[in-house]
Amino acid sequence: MNARTARQWMVTHEWMIKPMAQTEWISGKGLLVWWAEVFSALGTGLYLVSIFFALREEFAVTAFWAGILGWIGIAIFKLPLHAFYLGKWYRFWRAFPPFSKAWRTSWFARGIVMTMIFLVFGAIQLILQGLIAYDVADSSGVWAANYVFMVLAGIFGVMTAVYCGFAMSYCKSVPFWNTGLLPIVFLLMGVADGLALIMGVGMVTGEDVIPTAESATRILLIVNALLIIMYLVNANYQSATAELSVKELVRGRVAWVFWLGIVLLGIIVPLVVSVVSYFTGEEASTGLLVFAIICHTIGAFSLKYGVLKVGIYRPILPKGRAY
Amino acid sequence: MRWGMVINLAKCTRCHGCIAACRIEHFLPLRMTWPRLIALETDDGFSVDVSTYPVRCNQCKEAPCVEVCPTEASYKREDGIVAIDSNKCFGCRYCVIACPYQNRTYLSRKRNPNYFPEHAKTGFEKKGKQIYPHQVGTTEKCNFCMERIDAGLAKGLKPGIDREATPACVNICQARALTFGDLDDPNSNVSKLIREKNGFVLHDEYGTEPSVYYIDYKLGGAPSNKAPIEAQTGSHIQHLSSVYAPSKEKLAKKNAD
Repeated sequence: MNARTARQWMVTHEWMIKPMAQTEWISGKGLLVWWAEVFSALGTGLYLVSIFFALREEFAVTAFWAGILGWIGIAIFKLPLHAFYLGKWYRFWRAFPPFSKAWRTSWFARGIVMTMIFLVFGAIQLILQGLIAYDVADSSGVWAANYVFMVLAGIFGVMTAVYCGFAMSYCKSVPFWNTGLLPIVFLLMGVADGLALIMGVGMVTGEDVIPTAESATRILLIVNALLIIMYLVNANYQSATAELSVKELVRGRVAWVFWLGIVLLGIIVPLVVSVVSYFTGEEASTGLLVFAIICHTIGAFSLKYGVLKVGIYRPILPKGRAY
Repeated sequence: MRWGMVINLAKCTRCHGCIAACRIEHFLPLRMTWPRLIALETDDGFSVDVSTYPVRCNQCKEAPCVEVCPTEASYKREDGIVAIDSNKCFGCRYCVIACPYQNRTYLSRKRNPNYFPEHAKTGFEKKGKQIYPHQVGTTEKCNFCMERIDAGLAKGLKPGIDREATPACVNICQARALTFGDLDDPNSNVSKLIREKNGFVLHDEYGTEPSVYYIDYKLGGAPSNKAPIEAQTGSHIQHLSSVYAPSKEKLAKKNAD
């Protein structure tokens, strides 16, 4: 038997008999999905944090620039990356109402619609925020309009942040994703990333956002660590295939992404920096803060990579093996 | 009316005829396969037993692929067939991931080379481009040969009974392991088979209500489903034994015991 014949038989034999990792959204062109999802988390996280800071007048400029960066993350990076991934990107419009009613059932279609609405409301809010931040128009009417669009953009920002989690958790074929915890993990990790990034923006604008952002980061990182543990424990007992995904993430080929990227750089380093500054009563040095922000961002990339990479399909034959 | 298929694994001789017939019927690109034949190996330490399962799109009643499709390119026909409108599909591959049976394939450029990559297209390929154009960048899957069914029904033929209105894979099956018919008709050939031979579907727990049923001794449990040894062709057994022969260590252990 030559090598080619052997390989063909091997593929037939292995295909969906044993648990098989999904590759469509993480290998080859699928890497674009990973990057798009990361920018989705970073963009929405930064925007949501920016509207929180926009509530206080002394942080108006930081909130404005952070909001702009978050909006750009979605409009310039996330959407085009998603579009480039598509086999026929020029049919993108087919997902929108009134051309399609798929938003009734499809989280992907809902996500696209929500993202577009978020971008529209976000753009209006940022214009108003810019007027306030640079004292171009500071009337109560502008403030009121800003609040209204903050709420609207905030709602659709949250939806944009969670929809990819819902889209993945809908897939019964991948038990590791098939849990309601996934959208919450993605949302809270995105907000934590946003808090880290706004510290960087604050350093540039000179406004004193760091103490507020650090105290929020401290709590959120602990919550996120607990949430990730809960997610993994839940998956571990959910099904044999999900358990395999957890093993692959924690002890398998992707373990370095989990331990180095998600745990060490994404959680421990930023947490240590913020806890140390809390106990010493002094702000961390600029260099240390920049390091913590970079680590946090690497953590965001690692989280999405790890979750997508260990998405393993349940084998097709139910009683063939205990999956 | 809901078209369905019953696959009797006790009769299947694993000849790959269904796969070849589908390729010819739909002019499938070189690296695209709609139905598949998968092999399950059970090894008790002494002997290796191989069972093969022909799998294809299950045409689910509650199809996850239809629900997740953001462009409504995947749709469900009134006769239960899940079809894809290639002119609407934008290739997001959400359906490929959402299908619990993994029976959808994305047609990338890599999957669509010439049959003889170093050479020009064959006449078969050229004809196929005209008769059954496949769009690179979209998702494909088995559609129960709906074109044959529609054309046959228009002529007053009965799918599952008249060959001209029956899926190509069912027609070609030399062991008559594949049966096609109306699942909603309790007197149809498929309904009777499912009733009498304990037909079952894959992953019933998903609640997708597949239209492809299996009859099998091992998984179905009914002793009457056991394949007679003569059902396996000599050449097939010879082929499998060469591919899945137990290792020398296992043979030595077996002999020692």
